[in-house]
Amino acid sequence: MARIIVVTSGKGGVGKTTSAAAISTGLALKGNRTVVIDFDVGLRNLDLIMGCERRVVYDLVNVIQGEAGLNQALIRDKRTENLHILPASQTRDKEALTLEGVEQVLEKLSEDYDYIVCDSPAGIERGAQLAMYFADEAIVVTNPEVSSVRDSDRILGLLASRTRRAEQGQDPVVERLLITRYNPDRVDSGDMLNLDDIQEILAIKLIGLIPESEAVLRASNSGVPVTHDEQSDAGQAYLDTVDRLLGEEKPLRFHQFEKKGFLSRIFGGGRR
Amino acid sequence: MSLKVEQATTAFTFKGGMLPMTVMELSTSDPERIGAQLAGKLSQAPAFFQHTPVVLSVEKLDDTALALERLCAVCRSHRLLPVAVRGGGEGIKQSAWALGLGWFPPQEIRETRPLTTVDETSAGIDETGSGRIHRGTVRSGQQVSAPGGDLVIIGAVNAGAEVLAAGSVHVYGPLRGRALAGIHGDRQAGIFCRELHAELLSVAGTYKRLEDVDRALLGTPVQIGLKEDQLAIEALV
Repeated sequence: MARIIVVTSGKGGVGKTTSAAAISTGLALKGNRTVVIDFDVGLRNLDLIMGCERRVVYDLVNVIQGEAGLNQALIRDKRTENLHILPASQTRDKEALTLEGVEQVLEKLSEDYDYIVCDSPAGIERGAQLAMYFADEAIVVTNPEVSSVRDSDRILGLLASRTRRAEQGQDPVVERLLITRYNPDRVDSGDMLNLDDIQEILAIKLIGLIPESEAVLRASNSGVPVTHDEQSDAGQAYLDTVDRLLGEEKPLRFHQFEKKGFLSRIFGGGRR
Repeated sequence: MSLKVEQATTAFTFKGGMLPMTVMELSTSDPERIGAQLAGKLSQAPAFFQHTPVVLSVEKLDDTALALERLCAVCRSHRLLPVAVRGGGEGIKQSAWALGLGWFPPQEIRETRPLTTVDETSAGIDETGSGRIHRGTVRSGQQVSAPGGDLVIIGAVNAGAEVLAAGSVHVYGPLRGRALAGIHGDRQAGIFCRELHAELLSVAGTYKRLEDVDRALLGTPVQIGLKEDQLAIEALV
């Protein structure tokens, strides 16, 4: 049986798709058979981040509506063994997804994979609810700003009530906090919420902290998940996150403002 | 011109409205027991019993034989005005109509899960069957209520969440959302919390917004109650 992990946030633009891509890549790099599903029907993005947009033929909606087989729609990742992508449809909308359809797809994938990562759309409507409904674990992606924290709080409420685990009275969905775009410099100057404030409000376990990094933008635009950029701070932070997801203890990094050294002050610029 | 003519000939217009309505959920059909409990409540909160319209909900009753007429009489004698019945079978529907009451179909099982599953650890109800204890964070968008008594929250009430009670609201944690005490008009009710950041505070309909709160009190333990029709916020020591 595969573990189903939903990457969700409520608010848009906080880094759900980037995180889903980076984490599923990390899981696969560690030798786990992993599939990542784009639930953002109508606003397909995951294929771009994963760099497989030119290889999309069939998608999730085709599979659910019986127009294509699951194996026809799954795209094998070229860089990482054990990793597959199930893209969303760009021409349809979220109404094309059905609970039964999603359940069947997940059940079938469960037979062949260790991890199923569901990349949720923003919002709290149908698409987001279907993405989280069958989840065993949730990674709640949050930026260090008040609106993102409030939306994450809302999503946590839904995870505790509108999921199969909640409705059937099973063990609750394991909730984990992933803070992205964290900039210790701006936290220190008071422009951003700090780690402790966010954790105090959301009161769930922290699984990772991804620093604001140019590497993320670079990765998105080149279609290579940032996990492959092992030299970058964000890439390392995602690898740490994956390790913690797999049960390893890893100390938190990148959450403190580093005094810039002499050379970096001269050659300056932002973080890599 | 034609519009004016029409207006003159219109005796009334129908308008949809959502009015607050008290539902009296019966757990027994015994008029004696209901009467006894009403008498008790009447002495506690006389303000509530002023020919208040109520809907009698019989959904929780199994027996089909219900002395509806006697029940209505008991309610009226305690200054409650039954206006409709909710639930029950065909027989109850017919007798409600015969008594000049409205009838509503049983309430569909609504998704009240946010309230029930989150606090799976709480026993929920105290001996009088009215108070409620909620353990854990009340999150944005969630609502936890104790429509018959005090509400105790052991945890935080986050921004965008709402906690309400007929009696007092006690929050053993930071209160960042909205808290409404005395929702049926109990002016003795209060709000108590460990850390005040509330978006809105209300006791028996008198409210204060975060803006109106003395900044010195923010983040401190406080008690809130009505004093001479004003909401008084005082340090809790």
